[in-house]
Amino acid sequence: MIIKRLRHEVRVYTKKAPWQKRDNGLTARIIVSFAILTILYLVFLSVLAYVGLGAIPIAVIAGIMILAQWYFSDKIVLWSTGAKIVSREQFPELHDLVERIVARNNLPKPRIAVINTKMPNAFATGKTPKSSIVTVTTGLMDQLETEELEGVIAHELSHIKNRDVLVLTLASLFSTIAWYLMQSSLYGGMYGGYGRRRDGGGGMLLVLLVAIITWFVSFLMIRAISRYREFVADRDGALMTGKPSKLASALLKISGTMKRIPTQDLRQMEGMNAFFIIPALSGSSFANLFSTHPPVDQRVKKLLEMEAAMS
Amino acid sequence: MFSISSAYITLEVKLGLKVTGRCAVTFKTVSGTFFYEMEQDIKRFLTSLQPEFDLAYRAVTDSYGYMWIVFEGKRIEDLLAALTATGDMVEEKGFSDQLLAAVFEFANERQGGGHQYLIYNYRRNNFYPFVPTGQKTRDTEQEMIMMSAIGEEMPFEKDMTLWYPLWDLPLKSPG
Repeated sequence: MIIKRLRHEVRVYTKKAPWQKRDNGLTARIIVSFAILTILYLVFLSVLAYVGLGAIPIAVIAGIMILAQWYFSDKIVLWSTGAKIVSREQFPELHDLVERIVARNNLPKPRIAVINTKMPNAFATGKTPKSSIVTVTTGLMDQLETEELEGVIAHELSHIKNRDVLVLTLASLFSTIAWYLMQSSLYGGMYGGYGRRRDGGGGMLLVLLVAIITWFVSFLMIRAISRYREFVADRDGALMTGKPSKLASALLKISGTMKRIPTQDLRQMEGMNAFFIIPALSGSSFANLFSTHPPVDQRVKKLLEMEAAMS
Repeated sequence: MFSISSAYITLEVKLGLKVTGRCAVTFKTVSGTFFYEMEQDIKRFLTSLQPEFDLAYRAVTDSYGYMWIVFEGKRIEDLLAALTATGDMVEEKGFSDQLLAAVFEFANERQGGGHQYLIYNYRRNNFYPFVPTGQKTRDTEQEMIMMSAIGEEMPFEKDMTLWYPLWDLPLKSPG
């Protein structure tokens, strides 16, 4: 449960790594870092409770620590992923590319960080558009052509512009509160409540039930919102560069779909009649419900529809 | 197959792809009298069309052992009629398993007249795009743009892993 919640919390802080399915390492490191921090908080708060500090001071301290985590979230993300802020001297072309997009779209220029890994990935962090950081991996720069990289960075810039970190934090507030309610009522039930309220068993159960339902519904909602924000960022990013098909081909390259388009001649496929009977692959809608990112083919389809409408 | 008679208009309006007036149907050659007779029948039939239909045809066999009947003409209706009739004849003579694909050629007016193709797969009964750029390279992006333009108005292959290329298409006349 804790891991579930953390993962979700981490998502809120780190803001999306669009091609997670292929790059779990980066996300895993962020999750582990935040998990360790949160466990430290919990231990610290338990110690405070153990030494007999009252509920109100503990709540205040917890609040301060959560604010601190929020405040330092980008530093934590940079540190846990090994991303380094890079200067214009180190990566002049990357700086030029970002500046071209922000200048055309009247956006503040974010700081730029690079991770030295072959995995193609990119993400945006930051609490406000001005203090934000766009991070790309060296693998992403190697695999994509300039216009495709532009598409990906524009996608990340629209996450910043749309304040998706904030949107998702607000959206997850419900979920977090429900989760705490659920936990405290669980503990309350297990240890027979804090003392005298033995008669309140039924009421406790109701609170628990409502909390579980609230948590589950908000869990799905956050995922739905997150998927929707991805589509929005795709659309806005494509508008920034004016080339939806470039972002589409970047997505296909990064997800490995590009490699699956065959180069073997149709005439060499004879004797494989049965092969052609395999039904076209379709994404399971159940998996869709739980994932934070829409499937790549759906995103590509929407981008190409945009391209078709623009041409 | 006939859905192409409206889809080509969409391709022209949306993407600036113009039909070049060339298309082809291809099937695997088999040694034997029946196949030879069919070949003669097809040629007789196509020659008999000449006075009425404004089109030329030729038969080529490629290095894979596939026979190509290549059509060239001005009116897409004539081309389509001759092409489907040829396919029907192959099926009627009992060689439907040999029937592989039909290919329609387009020229991209907005990008220097490069050739782009729609391939009709007889086994899957649907179309997919093919944009060769060199010996064994293809422009996937342009292919996907074609799909986005016409994917909904005709039976289309949505599974990209089945977009098998046909390299060295013998559509252009050698001379």
